[in-house]
Amino acid sequence: MKITNSAVRLSTGVDGLDYILLGGLVQGGAYLVRGGPGTGKTTLGLHYLAAGIAAGQKVLFVTLGEPVEDIKKNARSINVNADDLAYLDLSPTPEFFAEVETYDIFSPAEVEREPTTARIIDAVHDVQPDRVFIDSMAQFRYLSVDIFQYRKQVLSFLRYLKGRGATVVFTSEAGPDTPDSDVQFLSDGIVNLFLNHHERNVSVSKFRGSSFVAGEHGMRLSAHGMEVLPRLEPQERTEQLQMEALPLGVVKLDQMLHGGLERGTITIISGPSGVGKTTLGLQFMKTGAARGERSIVYTFEEEVDIVIQRSEMIGIPARRMVDEGTLSLTKVRPLQFTPDEFAHLVRRDVEDRGARVVMIDSVSGYKLSLHGAGLVRRLHALCKFLQSTGVTVVLLAETQSIVGDFQATDVELSYLADNIVFLRYLEIEGELRKAVGVLKKRLSDFEKVLREFEITSNGIQVGEPMTEFRGILSGVPTSVGAAPSESAA
Amino acid sequence: MTAAQIILIVNRNPRNAVLLSEFLERRGCLARAVGSLEELDHVLDSGDGYSLALIDVSGFNQEIWSRCSRLRAASVPFLLISSPKHSVGTEQGLRHGATGVLTKPLAMSELANLIDTLVL
Repeated sequence: MKITNSAVRLSTGVDGLDYILLGGLVQGGAYLVRGGPGTGKTTLGLHYLAAGIAAGQKVLFVTLGEPVEDIKKNARSINVNADDLAYLDLSPTPEFFAEVETYDIFSPAEVEREPTTARIIDAVHDVQPDRVFIDSMAQFRYLSVDIFQYRKQVLSFLRYLKGRGATVVFTSEAGPDTPDSDVQFLSDGIVNLFLNHHERNVSVSKFRGSSFVAGEHGMRLSAHGMEVLPRLEPQERTEQLQMEALPLGVVKLDQMLHGGLERGTITIISGPSGVGKTTLGLQFMKTGAARGERSIVYTFEEEVDIVIQRSEMIGIPARRMVDEGTLSLTKVRPLQFTPDEFAHLVRRDVEDRGARVVMIDSVSGYKLSLHGAGLVRRLHALCKFLQSTGVTVVLLAETQSIVGDFQATDVELSYLADNIVFLRYLEIEGELRKAVGVLKKRLSDFEKVLREFEITSNGIQVGEPMTEFRGILSGVPTSVGAAPSESAA
Repeated sequence: MTAAQIILIVNRNPRNAVLLSEFLERRGCLARAVGSLEELDHVLDSGDGYSLALIDVSGFNQEIWSRCSRLRAASVPFLLISSPKHSVGTEQGLRHGATGVLTKPLAMSELANLIDTLVL
């Protein structure tokens, strides 16, 4: 459990960020929003002030870079009403360029500071703001003769605002040429915004008087403004793990698994392309549907209609399951999501629809379609999160070789799985056949033999143990009775 | 300060002159600014009394030194102001009778202290 103190919290206007901050900013603090150009600093500020307006508070936007008209225009593009905000526009006017006469008698810092300070004091006096957003504080650096003065001025400015009951959010553009460690020290909290390739992230690196959800969280900037997707964290198990084995509904397969797949476990079904992994996974969902449980499939490769059609042909009533609401199929398009966005989609689906089984078809599709770093690690986090909420996860993992040297699945993935079921092509006397086996099962014993696996119009058929062959895992087995020289022929 | 002190500003740059005037006026002084040797001559000829002169030598030629001598003769203390690029050495300034030599940009607080000391 996270500890929250009793201090009054102010919503940042971004739900996910409030979640990370365990309720929002602490009232009366001064918070730094750091990030490079285009990372969403001003957007966050607009949300922050709009949330203040919504709460009936008085707010002030102090802009030192962008003119007010541009800010209002940008706010409209993200559906934030910025017309009711009070502004103090300290950005340079176009006339400045034409009018300016150079001088060198005093430093610009000394000449410009006084009128600027006077305007700030006037504005704060007029508005009496509860919330102030300053974009960006870095501009004040040019109003200071040296770094010591700057620090002193920022500190006294923040104290001045806080002394008048305002909660301040201010931005700084951190870059190699403009380090901002000085203002970091002066703030009560720091929100970092990042943009790495395609992926946007948010992290909190300081928050006085409160704990926060550490780490990098996903973030999206869209027509709705900023959306923060807190990283999924496995939750504490609320319900006692019951050793409830969920059958696959194929008698001999359930026999191999000593009853089925336990609820809340992660299962990898591995095998080469076309061997029947999706079918086996859907078979598991069919028995779930019979119990009245909902399953969700995220398909990265095949279209939803094709999956349904194929299932219908082999005795899995996917259409009916979809209509009943016990099955939902979601096609994930390439580069549609970052891993965090995908994780949130899954989480929302699971929570909104009360799904009990989630299948990802397939792991390689996941890796190919989502952009971002550390994909397997993120998949791991997602699976662990689902597991902690009692959801049973099925991952389909494609192996490269059709026949030949046996390979269950990626090393990192095997570690993640509670159960590994593998499907295999075999060449027996010139005929291509399939076998199913269980490689790992954490919660129970399992049958260590291979059985023939077949998909017919009546569904999945599993045969007797293939004890008459050896070298099955090589893909080219020989009869137990046959001489080795014959097998080589 | 009893009656307002009048300070003479000699500066070729009008913006500098305005900023200095504003600065002095904020401190309760009266300022009179001139931007050329001719104007300066006119002021010196008029015989008006000044408590202090602030002479920015930037943009002036050697002839400025003869005006410095006239100020000294009239017992008007003056500070020389020079740009860091064409620095007038302290020694050179003092030789011409300056009370001090300042290098731009001036720090407002230091200038204020200096003026207070010199004119009060």
